[in-house]
Amino acid sequence: MTSSLSRSVPAARPSDAVPASPPPADGPRTGTPPARRGRRLRRTGVRVLSLLALLGLWQLAAVAADNPSFVPAPRAVWDQLVLLSTTHDGVRGYGGHLLVEHLGISLRRILIGSALGVAAGLVLGVVLGVVPWIRLVAEPVVTFVRALPPLAYFSLLIIWFGIDETPKLWLLAVAALPPVAVATAAAVHGAPTGLVEAARALGASRWDVIKDVVLPSALPEIFTGVRLAVGVAYSSVVAAETVNGVPGIGGMVRDAQRYLQTDVVVLGLLAIGLSGLLIDGLLRAAETRLIPWRGRA
Amino acid sequence: MSSRPDAPAESGTPRESGAPVTPGESGTSVAPADSAVPGGTEVPAVHLDEVEHVYAGAGGPVAALGPISLTVPPGTFLVLVGASGCGKSTLLRLIAGFEKPTSGTVRTGGAEPVPGRGAGIVFQQPRLFPWKTVGGNVELALRYAGVPRAERARRVPELLERVGLHDVAERRIWQISGGQQQRVAIARALAGDDPLLLLDEPFAALDALTRERLQEDLRRVSARTGRTSVFVTHSVEEAVFLGSRVVVLTRRPGRVALDLEVDLPRTGVEPDELRALPEYAALRAEIGHAVRAAAA
Repeated sequence: MTSSLSRSVPAARPSDAVPASPPPADGPRTGTPPARRGRRLRRTGVRVLSLLALLGLWQLAAVAADNPSFVPAPRAVWDQLVLLSTTHDGVRGYGGHLLVEHLGISLRRILIGSALGVAAGLVLGVVLGVVPWIRLVAEPVVTFVRALPPLAYFSLLIIWFGIDETPKLWLLAVAALPPVAVATAAAVHGAPTGLVEAARALGASRWDVIKDVVLPSALPEIFTGVRLAVGVAYSSVVAAETVNGVPGIGGMVRDAQRYLQTDVVVLGLLAIGLSGLLIDGLLRAAETRLIPWRGRA
Repeated sequence: MSSRPDAPAESGTPRESGAPVTPGESGTSVAPADSAVPGGTEVPAVHLDEVEHVYAGAGGPVAALGPISLTVPPGTFLVLVGASGCGKSTLLRLIAGFEKPTSGTVRTGGAEPVPGRGAGIVFQQPRLFPWKTVGGNVELALRYAGVPRAERARRVPELLERVGLHDVAERRIWQISGGQQQRVAIARALAGDDPLLLLDEPFAALDALTRERLQEDLRRVSARTGRTSVFVTHSVEEAVFLGSRVVVLTRRPGRVALDLEVDLPRTGVEPDELRALPEYAALRAEIGHAVRAAAA
């Protein structure tokens, strides 16, 4: 067994080396499909390896700390994942909800909150970008809100809207609004004059110019703003779930912290981070589909 | 405001280079700016009366243009030639209505020019909308021109064919060449069926071969449609080849240094034949001389 394995290694190496060092004639960027596939394979390999290394380091740290309440081992977190995804001893997941349910409810809040924030930010951004005197008045206010940590105005939202869903959605919406508004305003304000003029020369009305030229040309920057906004909403969801947050992944993490269930805390963090990666990936995929001209004009 | 001795700018009518011009065109006296149809005569497609333009530069006001007076009868292919910075693009922007003259009056078709009304414009850069396909760009122009949806679908390929483009309607802007992009820009400017076509050095950014081919096609398209065109360039060759009338501008502030009716056949002659004509060479020499003298 081992001998056949060791014999196959030198045979595999040259074929590995082909995509690893593409001939300079091909050019590093415009490689042939097999070369590109090889590159992607190599990148995935590097990522998996670094992930494994990280896991190893984590394991080492857990062993060194020798205190599961301080640094829980990967294994313990994995066990919690299994436990929280099933009903055990008549207890359903954590606090009566499975992990996916906690995560799902938080994602729903992020989705609705940032959708509201993005929509409002878009409208506000266009107005800011188009009407100079409104920009003069409102821009400092937007920057002011942007500088506030979400927890700071959460108290106010609770006083106004109680402790149920409403203040949470408001918090996420308010957090998501400024990045979109600022990006949209800048992009709308900086719309390429050449294209605006071309549209006017064709007989476009003021509204036509905004709809057909200013907004499409601002789309790449708006999309960057949306990605930022979703990121901000993501990082604010834990704050939004500090009060009456169960079910919800942030509420779960907070509860676990109270009972020093460090493995649950870590599990919650991983769930938030990984789903965040996934959503950003989806947004990026949507971006390349929706804005094929990005970087070409 | 003494004009140069060799500049026939006062009358606003061109000097004839050869055969007589159509009667009633160049002999017409300058009509009052706001009267649309003075007793029976044609409304000039473009009419400039003592136009001056001054803009605020870094070191104070800069006189860019004028005073300049020109009357362009319908059907003329007017080429404005001059060295860079002579105000020829400014003049085109005034005719387009993008800017108002500091003094004097500009009229197109008897009215004050407004962008998007009565004139199609081709810029030096194609200025196409990258979020639209090639066909989508032309379609948008038709929509702005008020063409109903059903008719637009029919006219998009028609317009593209007219500028020598086939099977590119579905392409993206970055998938076609610079020359093709400029063709699309011309198709877009033709979409509105405006009586006036304004072109601001549209071929300056193209390679020599593409430029020549586009010049030939533009000459053909313009001869067929017969619409009034104002074409700005710094190329003498281009001016002689395209213009039915060539106006040479002095350096800043731009005034008329030479106003010449070009009496070369507009149709029925191959481009190479045209370029080989002795009159062609003579005109080129005359205009070239005027441009150099005006720039000095």
